[in-house]
Amino acid sequence: MNEFLFTQILTELEDAVGKENCSTKLVDKVAHSVDYFWLSRMWADRGREMPMGDFIVSPKDAQEVSKVLKIANYYKIPVTTWGGGGGTQGGAIPVCGGILLDTKRMNQIYDINEQGMYIECGAGAIYKHIEWAANERGYSTMHFPSSLTCSTVGGFLAHRGIGVVSTKYGKIDDMVLQMEVVLPNGDIINTSSAPKHAAGPDLNQIFIGSEGTLGIITKAQIRIYIQPEVRRFRGFLFKNMHAAFEASRELLQIFKPSVMRLYDDAETASLIKKIVGVAKPGAFMNIAYEGKKELVDVEEKILLETFAKYGAEDLGSEYGEKWWEEKITFFYPGHMMDLPQMFGTMDTIAPYDKIEEIYWAMKKAIETKYPNIKFIAHFSHWYEWGAMIYDRFICDNPPQDPIEAMKLHNEVWTTGVRTALAHGGVVNDHHGVGIKLGRLMKEQYGPAMQVFEGLKKSLDPNGIMNPFKLGL
Amino acid sequence: MKISDKARQQAESCRFCWMCRHVCPIGNADGQERNNARARALMVSYVIRGTEKLEDIATNMYECSLCGACANNCKTGWDPRLFIQEVKTQIILEGKEPEYIRKLLDNYSSCGAVFGKMDKGAQQLLQKMQEEYSDGKVLLLAGEMAVNKDAESLEKTLKLLSKGSESICLDKSADNTGYSLWYLTGKTKETVECARKCAEALNKYEKVVVYNPVELSFIRHEWKEWGITLKARVVGLNEELLDLINNDKLKVRKSDIEYSLQDNFAYARELDDVTSGRQLIEKVGIVKDMLLINKEANLAGQLIMNEYMPNTMKLVAKNRWMNAMNMGCKTLVTENPDEHVLLKENVPEGYKVITVEEMVLDNLA
Repeated sequence: MNEFLFTQILTELEDAVGKENCSTKLVDKVAHSVDYFWLSRMWADRGREMPMGDFIVSPKDAQEVSKVLKIANYYKIPVTTWGGGGGTQGGAIPVCGGILLDTKRMNQIYDINEQGMYIECGAGAIYKHIEWAANERGYSTMHFPSSLTCSTVGGFLAHRGIGVVSTKYGKIDDMVLQMEVVLPNGDIINTSSAPKHAAGPDLNQIFIGSEGTLGIITKAQIRIYIQPEVRRFRGFLFKNMHAAFEASRELLQIFKPSVMRLYDDAETASLIKKIVGVAKPGAFMNIAYEGKKELVDVEEKILLETFAKYGAEDLGSEYGEKWWEEKITFFYPGHMMDLPQMFGTMDTIAPYDKIEEIYWAMKKAIETKYPNIKFIAHFSHWYEWGAMIYDRFICDNPPQDPIEAMKLHNEVWTTGVRTALAHGGVVNDHHGVGIKLGRLMKEQYGPAMQVFEGLKKSLDPNGIMNPFKLGL
Repeated sequence: MKISDKARQQAESCRFCWMCRHVCPIGNADGQERNNARARALMVSYVIRGTEKLEDIATNMYECSLCGACANNCKTGWDPRLFIQEVKTQIILEGKEPEYIRKLLDNYSSCGAVFGKMDKGAQQLLQKMQEEYSDGKVLLLAGEMAVNKDAESLEKTLKLLSKGSESICLDKSADNTGYSLWYLTGKTKETVECARKCAEALNKYEKVVVYNPVELSFIRHEWKEWGITLKARVVGLNEELLDLINNDKLKVRKSDIEYSLQDNFAYARELDDVTSGRQLIEKVGIVKDMLLINKEANLAGQLIMNEYMPNTMKLVAKNRWMNAMNMGCKTLVTENPDEHVLLKENVPEGYKVITVEEMVLDNLA
């Protein structure tokens, strides 16, 4: 872009959000160029600059977002939305430059509504901050992902995030009532005032998971819950994962625990041994159940009876409590994979009739094709009908050359996700698609992809919203 | 860029887990991505590798309050302040400091204080105090922030301490610990020299009561690291007040007034003291805590930064008031002049902020 036009656009953006909230300084551009995507971190680690936005803007509300999008549409320049930058799929990387729209100034808590049991807040609020606000009134959001302290409300919504007590309380798409969204043309809309209705398709579900390609979420009503009277834990050791799947499926037809987490033999022998202290071989599973004490007593009885039927060794509550205390430790340096390793989480989800087959097929595909790459997994989100695999690949010595490292990275991902798709899985469970997996979206959806493409064409005819993400 | 191996290692050690984002008082106030520990580490790392230039990161280094909330939250023991302070030294040595930082340093050269000339009223009050409390074995080390920005609180402190100890005094030559200079320039020859001069002056006394916990921590940690030792016994104001109350030299009455402590980061995180402030409250009233206390305490303001980023400091103070308001904490008690001044400037209607010494003074028997 020539200097004249650049300056023209800059002055218009400054007018829209205020000079102090519109930056072209290198420090702001660099800070928004590297997210939690392995490729962006590797690129920086090799001393290479990632693609940067040309204008970093921080609007304070939907009205300012609207002004920014009108300017972007007029000049036909890309807009990439950034929340906390904690995404793993490169969804927030401004690969085409243009405007980088940071949502964190939209962090107001507008209402803690104890009648309606929700908090209304700006999409840029750090989730931990709304959890604190709920705690101050004696409630909880019950959304406890490992990224709770670094990611925003909008970030979780845009990528369909999930936390560790999901089986009882749901995924982020279950936790939101109404949303305010700014469409690419600058129009500000609200989704329906309640999510469970028959007034046509649910608008929330069109924008949740859309990763900034169809609009920008600016406000949301997030559900709050009463704190449970008791929260109990029980650790179990299964001889094999098949028994654990059978036991869990049966259990879920009777009641919903809050935490259900099953580790394969490899993760049990590594992470669980190191952090929780379980030294025996097998597949460790932690179950938490919570609520009113009388109900929890009954649930405990059902849990012990059901799991005993499938030969699970009852390890008591100690390991489970330790797991809860250390639930974030799993993701801290020293426990989590890190550079110089190459790694990735190929989370996928499927019904019980397919999920085990997918696990074994992915493990075989990765370990056969790449003998130097390890494959480990746990299963962390469970439903009456199926479960998700949090499967990770780890390569200890990736190529030093960034181009070669990127090629290998993408190849491994294609192998893993394509295998999941071939056996009935999906592109992703809760990290989203970003630029990392966009190429595989058409493979999952086939002709159904035209629905997304139609929405994109209609809402964003100039294709300015987060280009090359989500396969759109 | 010349920085020590230790600082370099700290900058390169951020593993991007971002678990500290939610606790940065500056990032939480201005919503800017550059104001988190990870962004600073990334920028410094790029400069170390020669990808970016030192001048590109200069302003950002001065947007950190050094409150240590991120370091306190880092499970790997990583401390961004180490490289931030060394990078500042490089910035100064290479003359790449922002204009507003140059102005503060010029103030220091011309007036001996980064804040520039004091206003007339404060100057007169200080002079009066210096005359009234000119001799004694126990020195109140007022410190740069209180002397320049909160002289009224100093007066109350002297009044209170003199009730419990006959020999409290102020000493103009022992007021500058070098903290401000260190904050702005890191460890330079001038900073160390300033600290040494202050230490010499302090050694004339039997005991030194340090008013500002940030400077107490500076004396206990940085001075010690620089080989500056003190003969005088050094204590914090909280400790001194507790001692006077426990030994019946100060007689207080206990009421049912609720007080909420604004834990200062230096006491809570650097000096491992989360009890003295609360013990003082318990002597005269009832502790009513907010969320985010003890080592997790949120900073409520920093006076040097207020000189060049007042709008952000206003938001920092407002955020802390929000914590208080959400928990119905009507009276905040501060341990540090920076937080006292800035919370007071932004006090919401129906709420009150007082210093620890003011609280004790209000409840003398």
